[in-house]
Amino acid sequence: MPSILVLSGSPSATSRTAALAEHLALRLRERDHRVRTIRVRELPPAALLSGDTRDPAVAEVVEAVAAADGVVVASPVYKAAYSGLLKSLLDLLPQFALAGKAVLPVVTGGSPAHVLAVDYALRPVLSALGAHHVVQGWFVLDSHIVAVGDAVELAEGARRPLYEVVDGFSDVLHARRPLIDAS
Amino acid sequence: MTTRSLAVLSAGLSVPSSTRVLADRLAAATARALAERGVEVETHHVELRELAHDVTNSVLTGFPTGGLREAVNRVVGADGLIAVTPIFTASYSGLFKSFVDVLEPGALTGKPVLLGATAGSARHSLAVDHAMRPLFAHLRTLTVPTAVFAASEDWDNSTDERSLLHRIDRAAAEFAGLLDRSAPASGTGELDDFVPFDQLIARG
Ligand SMILES: Cc1cc2nc3c(=O)[nH]c(=O)nc-3n(C[C@H](O)[C@H](O)[C@H](O)COP(=O)(O)O)c2cc1C
Repeated sequence: MPSILVLSGSPSATSRTAALAEHLALRLRERDHRVRTIRVRELPPAALLSGDTRDPAVAEVVEAVAAADGVVVASPVYKAAYSGLLKSLLDLLPQFALAGKAVLPVVTGGSPAHVLAVDYALRPVLSALGAHHVVQGWFVLDSHIVAVGDAVELAEGARRPLYEVVDGFSDVLHARRPLIDAS
Repeated sequence: MTTRSLAVLSAGLSVPSSTRVLADRLAAATARALAERGVEVETHHVELRELAHDVTNSVLTGFPTGGLREAVNRVVGADGLIAVTPIFTASYSGLFKSFVDVLEPGALTGKPVLLGATAGSARHSLAVDHAMRPLFAHLRTLTVPTAVFAASEDWDNSTDERSLLHRIDRAAAEFAGLLDRSAPASGTGELDDFVPFDQLIARG
């Protein structure tokens, strides 16, 4: 069962990005993945900003990244790019932390004008971390993420294209499995 | 003699920091270039490493605590900004971006800005133009055409066409021209209507 780590990088306590990340985790579990979600805001801030990888909670996340077959990296769009908080975590990962992994970039934003933040801002960082395969990413408009009780649902038109991307990511991981087993 | 105020933002994490050294050299070169034009400068340094705690607090809780509020006022109120970040994973550092994230929309609009970056090798030089510059395009600053990237091997005191010292002087001359021509920043730099980050988040 290919394992997936879902990182969400919004500083907000009521983050739509984090809620969307949980939503995607549910779908990925249904598709036969072991999935763990991590909110960067729950890590010790001092260790995060000083890049202290000896901090136990930070070290544990670094290990979780290393152990995952696939990583979903989710961020709100802040100032036309990923959040600084997400970047603080990515900064303290080892140089090629994403080597051999499939990675799915997902961003949420307030304006469709910033759809390209996925490919122009986030994707190059994931490539620099040595990702083996950064699959097609997706931008979700914040108003399309609708709270339903503790969880969220996606607005009608937003659902299909996002699920296609997420399922494609899952397919890549399932297809890659034999290769990983052989090594 | 006219005077221009300069905020020098540096986001290096280590001590001593080559990011800070580059920021200092850019500031000194700018002061020299402005002096040649008969303009005096008043320089204020903002060292983000010292404010890291306040920056995270502000991002997480919405309150610009401690020295951060003053730092934001300095940056927003200055006539010009020198912004220098280490390059991590092909882009500006998380700390640098978090500081930018807590700025109010429009806070830097029209401000002359000189960009600088440091890294271990020249391999990520393009990060300045592909990551930093678009961020400042979004902030609608008047960004100096020459940005200065310094790799470890650049700190060799050579002075030829392609040397770091030469690039610093060229960037500073362009920056001084922009500062000299542009009107001083309005106001005192005190942001009475500072919008805490939690309200920015609530606004979406
Ligand atoms: C400080 C700040 C900056 C933002 N900048 C942008 C932006 O440049 N482009 C955009 O489309 N949305 C922007 N937004 C809106 C958020 O991206 C959007 O509401 C997102 O879904 C918030 O996710 P979160 O609830 O997980 O933090 C910004 C929001 C904040 C708080």
